[in-house]
Amino acid sequence: MIKGYAGRVLEVDLGSRTFFFAPLDEEIARLYIGGKGYGTRLLYDRTPAGIDPLGPENLLIFATGPLNGSVAPQSNRFAVICKSPLTGGIGNATCGGSFALGMKKAGIDILIVKSRADRRVRLEIDGDRDVVEFLDADDLWGKGTYATQKLLSRKYQHAVIGPAGENLVLFAGIVSNERIAGRTGVGAVMGSKLLKAVSVRGSRKLDMEDPEKFKAYTKEVRKLFEDHPVLGESMKRFGTGGIVNTTNGRNILPTRNFQKGHFDQAMDISGEFLEDHELKGVKTSCIHCPVTCGRDVEVEGVGVVKGPEYETLALLGSNLEIGDIKKVSEWNYHADDLGMDTISLGATLSFAMELVERGMLDAKLHFGEQAGVTELIQDIGHRRGLGAELADGTKRLAAKYGGSEFAMHVKGLELSAYDPRGSFAQGVEYATTNRGGCHVQGASMYMESVGPLTINPQNLKLKADIPIMQQNIACAINSMVLCIFTTYGMIPKQIHEMNPSSFTYRALAFAFENMPGALLRGAMNFKGKPMLWFEKWLTYITGTTFSSGHLQEIGARIFNLERIYNLREGLTGADDTLPPRILYESTFPGMDSGHPLHLLLPRYYKKRGWSADGVPLRRTLEKLQVRV
Amino acid sequence: MSVEVQLTYAMAKELGAQRLEIEGAKTVADVLRLTRARFAETPTRYDELTRVTAVAVNGVLVNYKRGAKTPVRDGDTVAFVKAAAGG
Repeated sequence: MIKGYAGRVLEVDLGSRTFFFAPLDEEIARLYIGGKGYGTRLLYDRTPAGIDPLGPENLLIFATGPLNGSVAPQSNRFAVICKSPLTGGIGNATCGGSFALGMKKAGIDILIVKSRADRRVRLEIDGDRDVVEFLDADDLWGKGTYATQKLLSRKYQHAVIGPAGENLVLFAGIVSNERIAGRTGVGAVMGSKLLKAVSVRGSRKLDMEDPEKFKAYTKEVRKLFEDHPVLGESMKRFGTGGIVNTTNGRNILPTRNFQKGHFDQAMDISGEFLEDHELKGVKTSCIHCPVTCGRDVEVEGVGVVKGPEYETLALLGSNLEIGDIKKVSEWNYHADDLGMDTISLGATLSFAMELVERGMLDAKLHFGEQAGVTELIQDIGHRRGLGAELADGTKRLAAKYGGSEFAMHVKGLELSAYDPRGSFAQGVEYATTNRGGCHVQGASMYMESVGPLTINPQNLKLKADIPIMQQNIACAINSMVLCIFTTYGMIPKQIHEMNPSSFTYRALAFAFENMPGALLRGAMNFKGKPMLWFEKWLTYITGTTFSSGHLQEIGARIFNLERIYNLREGLTGADDTLPPRILYESTFPGMDSGHPLHLLLPRYYKKRGWSADGVPLRRTLEKLQVRV
Repeated sequence: MSVEVQLTYAMAKELGAQRLEIEGAKTVADVLRLTRARFAETPTRYDELTRVTAVAVNGVLVNYKRGAKTPVRDGDTVAFVKAAAGG
């Protein structure tokens, strides 16, 4: 068995209440690492085309990778993979918390949950005794994610759903501790199986190829993170909300359902404001992570709970024109407790507000007004009244009421909080990412509009290259499974400390922006020695050499397999688009139109090795060893 | 002729205001000079707080325009912007 893996796949059939352990497929692990990559391969191979995402044929796959179970910073994450009920294509989400560690300690790399229980059930998995218990979950059904986890044994690590998952809200997530696998409706798939919670425990240790080197190097990386301006300073002090004032200054903070990129009250919902006024108790982190990007806040009548992060501050704050951080924190708590993705929730609410504003929907729901929103969030989670319609997300709401030109989604997944009209590479990433309009499948915006060394985000230079490079590395990272925030550490402290108007900074930015795309991708694709921390960790743990080039190749393999899955399920190149508002309405003075996707998409397809209509060419798949 | 200056959080705390209205500026250089003047008692603090900030006019960094010589017009928003990472 390759080092770094527990070597076992646990398969649970909820319908027959049976289970068995199978050996991990080493060939899949070699080609796809683990996590999202391994899970996507299984989903493609084990499910026929055209299944109902909420039917018993769908698989719900919990997947770890070789970094999980180690003490590497940012490595306590697991991936969930299934067919998405929101998009009809590939569904996946990753989550921090403690469940990944629990799985590895139980000696399980991959957990496959199949079919549907005949009554409400929860699973308790003891990896030391190789036992899976199917327990009645009637007493937990209807309870929030906080209450559910409190009632479960503290000897186990848990992944649970709340009422939103039970009620098949199409953007329901799966929660571990206070973190959530939020996107694409993975919680609804768990709810469709009548599965309330999965609990795991065990006492196994990770077997590494070179534990001494790993330990010594991890100590160095911790020091590097501590000294890093993002990972050791701004994330630690302000959380991800430290970016609100930056996106606002760059005119890309979604405001009023993306009608604007600038919110006058942005500062009042920023991470800095949170630190000054609302932070309570300790800043929180996933296990073994020194970054502590989580915040604790006090919600009236509830107590101290996890505070909102950037996406929530933007989608439930500026995008609804709400500048009251207490209210956003309260709504964030309700969404977490119900087990819902705050990005899709906020975007669906803002879409409904605009429908009301235009007289296309009759409801007491208005931009800038808090009244009724708390109740509506509860109604969405429980599928009551108007909430039942909003529970299906923006795309389906537009199909019923109209307004597709301002329905802010890609492939059915609501856009996250970086307006691509001021971040062209991010727009290409949104349009082409297989799970839909999401930012953490590449985070191109960091390279062009918000990071420490940014290029002009509103021309065509490198805007088809950066997304490819970023999507590939994100696929690899989500397969290790590591936190995408680790990539923020790739730009060294010295660059963060440069004055942007200095000659050196401008020369560097000029050189970066004018670098031929082929050179950039060639440098990233070079298979040399491990340089970055995650390359070295993988190498020390597994004993196989991983460099940037290796990870780009594996990432491209995963990305293409996801693409093939989507094509099999009926998505086409026509789905690689952006909302009409983004394409045709300008938010920048002097710009006649929106995002120039029509100019960039053909370039992107060509560089990916795809046909003009977005289908991976046979030679591309063969080169990447993607078996279809 | 007035432009709105959007400050960073640290600058806003220092001045006790989230935004400034600057009159009579024709270029970004004028805006920076007049903003610095608001830190009358602590100009070095202004220098410290803006050491690694970029400047954007209506969301577009002046690095991609004419730098400090970039003209500003009535109603423009000039923002001090820090590099940051979110999630």
